[in-house]
Amino acid sequence: MSAKLTDRSQQDFGLSPEVACQVRDLNVTYRVDGRELSALREVSLDIRQGQITAVIGESGSGKSTLALALMNAVSSPGRIASGRVTYRGLGEVTGMRGEELRRIRGKAISMVFQASQNSMNPLTRIGAQLLDLARSHDLPNPRAVLREAGDLASRMSLDADRVLTSYQHQLSGGMRQRVGIIFGLVLKPEILLMDEPTTALDVLSQSSVLEIVRSIQRERQLTTVLITHDMGVVAELADRVVVLYAGRVVEEASTAELLRHPRHPYTRSLIQAIPRLTGDPGDAKALEGQPPSLASVPNQGCVFRERCPYRMDVCETILPSFRFDGDGEHRFACHYEEARHD
Amino acid sequence: MIEVKEITKIYAATGGMLGQKPVKALRGVSLTLADGEAISLIGESGCGKTTLGRIIAGLEASTSGDLVFDGTALSTLSPRERHAKFQQVQLIQQDPYGALNPARPLGEALADPLRLQAKRLGKDASWVQMRAKELLQLVGLDPANTLYKYPHNLSGGQRQRFVIARALTVEPKVLIADEAVSMIDVSLRLGILSLLSDLRSRLGISVVFITHDVAAARYVAPKGMVCVIYRGEIVEYGATDAIIASPIHPYTQALLSAMPVLRGLEEPGPDRYIPAQDLDLRLDDEGGCLFRARCRFATDRCAQEHPPLVTVDEGRRLHSCFYPEARHVVAVPIEGASL
Repeated sequence: MSAKLTDRSQQDFGLSPEVACQVRDLNVTYRVDGRELSALREVSLDIRQGQITAVIGESGSGKSTLALALMNAVSSPGRIASGRVTYRGLGEVTGMRGEELRRIRGKAISMVFQASQNSMNPLTRIGAQLLDLARSHDLPNPRAVLREAGDLASRMSLDADRVLTSYQHQLSGGMRQRVGIIFGLVLKPEILLMDEPTTALDVLSQSSVLEIVRSIQRERQLTTVLITHDMGVVAELADRVVVLYAGRVVEEASTAELLRHPRHPYTRSLIQAIPRLTGDPGDAKALEGQPPSLASVPNQGCVFRERCPYRMDVCETILPSFRFDGDGEHRFACHYEEARHD
Repeated sequence: MIEVKEITKIYAATGGMLGQKPVKALRGVSLTLADGEAISLIGESGCGKTTLGRIIAGLEASTSGDLVFDGTALSTLSPRERHAKFQQVQLIQQDPYGALNPARPLGEALADPLRLQAKRLGKDASWVQMRAKELLQLVGLDPANTLYKYPHNLSGGQRQRFVIARALTVEPKVLIADEAVSMIDVSLRLGILSLLSDLRSRLGISVVFITHDVAAARYVAPKGMVCVIYRGEIVEYGATDAIIASPIHPYTQALLSAMPVLRGLEEPGPDRYIPAQDLDLRLDDEGGCLFRARCRFATDRCAQEHPPLVTVDEGRRLHSCFYPEARHVVAVPIEGASL
């Protein structure tokens, strides 16, 4: 098994050099009351090597499902109905099962969850859990993991000895979230997935967690996927942004480009809905309506049309396809924008 | 009008990371909330802002100090009279998921307090129905589409609207919103914030908005007041706009600096500074300034003397720093880069 993995680590599996992970035509469904409901529809994207890619969307947009699907960890009643997720050096993961998956999770691809305390054992000390993690991946020297965790803790301005000998309930929310990040980084993964890493934190803890992620990412050139609903976090951290609505990608661009020139009406409303410290408070507009639930997503036409101020007849029936802009670096799917610029 | 007078709250701690030392959640906080006014209590987790909200709502007793409602000191009242006074104050909690019984239809959850209210006012059952619909419309929910549903049928934003409607059943004079939007998608927050602002202007309800997000406070009450609390003490107080444009206390400056900058649309403020150190409740700062361990401007004086709250700007502004200096820390919009 390990020989097979070592061999793979040198392979690119057909990915171009700047791409660390390629997602193609990914469909994920949940079985509810005998019906198959789509949570992700035909999602295709390239996650770039050494960059922070943000996936932004509201509750129910499928962003957390996407994070799970990237690790082939969608659990029942959900399943990956079709599509491929291919990593450089690992291969295609949607076809992997059992032991093969367990080995890459946490080691090659690791995940930091929204409420980190829920992914820790309340009954054992943080240090003991780190040792468990090391042993479960058959590391020759589990103690080295503790040293690495201690170094990371100090970098995050935590008292390493105190943190490693604590139980999770003895730490504050901001500290627990940092410990969650230590768990995510301690085995030196190539890809780090973060699902809402700062949502439960106040602004000061949030900004220090973001600073930590930023500096470690730079230093290790770590490929990072950041799942969030907060454009402020995206603007602080991400290189690229993928906008997800009702299980579909509706726009993708570099962060600066997306903030300055959003093309999809949904993206524009998301940016306008951010409470800001400057400017006329009247300029900010709440996004009208509610995000659709799995059961109410329209099966044809544009998924955003119910809340769209520019809705046209064609939006009812035909799914808008992607248009590319800015040397192909910016893509969006909107009939109105297409018509406006043609 | 509600006057908060020298409220202190001390929790007796037992074991754990804080040792055996009692925790001083509030150290003598005084403020006044006029009818129809909005005030935001701002600070990070653990600063005591939630405790203060709960004490004003009557959900927790203070260790010392008093509350004065319209000239009546609550300490002079019997428990029954005090209870009636506290009904004027309703608390909206952070988590709209935990605030509603998942097994009861929303119509029932709303009818219960309305029936009590009807009894008090001598109204009949049809009034309860009518009032339920009125309240739902007031918070922007469609009654026909809401009353028969259960909490799980609503999104987070809709749930929080419903919780607000339920708080309005007893016709309160004051709403306390404790981090009422922090669990709601950013895209839907503005809607809840403007609802709170609407209720204030249309019904004359006072709003106490508890948050760590100064930008949100600005949308609830652009003309309101901000009260910055650090470790149970007011460190700065003033009009929302003044606090944002020229914060005086280094802690206020830190809170404002930590707000995300929309790079591409904004540049970081020239004086932006975020302390590397965390809030550490174990530190014993008795005698000096409580913020000194995290303050980049701290001197020996800050360790020896406790800075009192002083009045500046002809009484419109209060702060407690020995070295007051207004700094520009909030992000600056880039010209021509707005949407």
